[in-house]
Amino acid sequence: MSDSKNPDWSCVCTLADLPDQGLAQFEVAGLTVLAARVEDDVRVIPPFCPHMAEPLVESGLCHGLTLTCSKHLWQWNLKSGDIQGPAEKPLKFYPSEIRDGSVWIDASSQLAYDFDEDEDDDFEW
Amino acid sequence: MPARNAKQWDKIPGKIESGEYVDSRIYSDRNIFEEEISKIFKKVWTPVCHESELSEPYSFRTMTVAREPVMVVRGADNQIRAFLNVCPHRGNMIENRPSGSFEQGSPSGAPKHMTCMFHAWQFDMKGNCVHISRGSEGYQDRLACSDVGLRRLRCEVKYGGFVWVTLNDAIDQTVEEWAGGAFDCMEKSLNSEPLEVFHYHKAIIPCNYKLWHDTNSEFYHDYLHYHNRITGFNDSYFARKNIGFDNGHVNVGSFEVQYDQYEGFESREELSFPHLPNNHWEMIDFFPGVNFNLRGSALRCDIMTPLGPDKVMIEFRGLGLKSDTPEERLIRQRHHNSIWGPFGRNLHEDLLAVTTQQATMSEFADKRRILHGRHELDADGDPTIHDEEGMRHFYDAWGRWMDRWPGDPELSFEEGQKREAA
Repeated sequence: MSDSKNPDWSCVCTLADLPDQGLAQFEVAGLTVLAARVEDDVRVIPPFCPHMAEPLVESGLCHGLTLTCSKHLWQWNLKSGDIQGPAEKPLKFYPSEIRDGSVWIDASSQLAYDFDEDEDDDFEW
Repeated sequence: MPARNAKQWDKIPGKIESGEYVDSRIYSDRNIFEEEISKIFKKVWTPVCHESELSEPYSFRTMTVAREPVMVVRGADNQIRAFLNVCPHRGNMIENRPSGSFEQGSPSGAPKHMTCMFHAWQFDMKGNCVHISRGSEGYQDRLACSDVGLRRLRCEVKYGGFVWVTLNDAIDQTVEEWAGGAFDCMEKSLNSEPLEVFHYHKAIIPCNYKLWHDTNSEFYHDYLHYHNRITGFNDSYFARKNIGFDNGHVNVGSFEVQYDQYEGFESREELSFPHLPNNHWEMIDFFPGVNFNLRGSALRCDIMTPLGPDKVMIEFRGLGLKSDTPEERLIRQRHHNSIWGPFGRNLHEDLLAVTTQQATMSEFADKRRILHGRHELDADGDPTIHDEEGMRHFYDAWGRWMDRWPGDPELSFEEGQKREAA
């Protein structure tokens, strides 16, 4: 469902669809996103760990406000997106709002992390 | 001719000359075998698989080359690269599966990466190390990802999409230069359009790898194959030439096989490889242990991996065109398997011959001479396929790589040559 006044915004789910703790995956406006409750608010993020594209719906563990990717133990504060521990890249958030018990995001541009490999054209034997 | 006593048995028979036999110890001696691994198999180009076996980005195939574990992967850029399948940390084998894909993650590794399951070090498809678990905590500034990339190996995709690898960084020849023209006879057929593997089986055979290669490099042993005699012995059969190329490779020339002469068989002109006349046959014995066999509608490639002086793994692949319709593929499979499949007409007979050869050449058996002194020439004076020039050509290259005289491996190659001249 999109917002009739602002078509960039789409409804992801209702609050009732979200577990008390942890990430849930949704398809919205052609995007795959993960949503989580954060105190009395929500956060909506891309489905991959910013480190090496691990699917966080499988490997993302939530304890309080801390999100941990179980693969290499990168951690973030899920409320601020800031890194904790050995993580090297912060989380990206879709702009989000709670409207009448539903979660809405600005889905106009897909958020992604940079996973490009280094070039090896200059490899020397 | 009476049987011989021990003294007579030790003498060189007839007028056979020193370059016309080998010493049986080259098939059984453990030290010679180890020398072959280090002096030959670690130095040369060898095909390890076909590119159709890793058809998608992130797919891989693992194998061993001269006992070293090797991994061949297709990158996101579709380029095929080869690496030692060894983690730079504690030496674990990184990938244990024979083939598969890195597209999905593994229990310890993220998607699109190779992961050592032991401590989850990760590498990309170009061999860059991209993750050391708790790297800065453990190594501070003493060791970083950039210090511990994988060992990359030289790799070329060549001659119908075969993936060639060498452990030898310092090799001064391309695959084409190493082939020395041996592929001229079938290059056009192999390169006309993409090929695909449709048959794979492997077997560990209790024989020295050279016995199998010897067998492939002369067709005098068609006396072993009833089927080949019935379908093959005609004028054009005896006109086939046995042609040597630089670096020990041998080519057996084409001729027309009369399949319909064998009961239960029929002509195979319904389907042929591009640019190959119907029912024709071309073969390359590639030094030191590969065989390319293009027969009618199917290409067969045997790759030998020596495992010990009396043990070799042979991988048999059958290939057709990637563009085959299901009907065409079935024809190729039938043609391939009825001759060369595990229950085909030829393969088991060849295997029986080489294993009974090896049975007389145990590690501790007395040395004896294995003859390859046939000179059967055509009207132009060129060796035909009942000539044993193929083996002599192979052992000339083998002796140079090994610096041993094949007829007496205790002599250097030069000493053997001097004795031959004398």
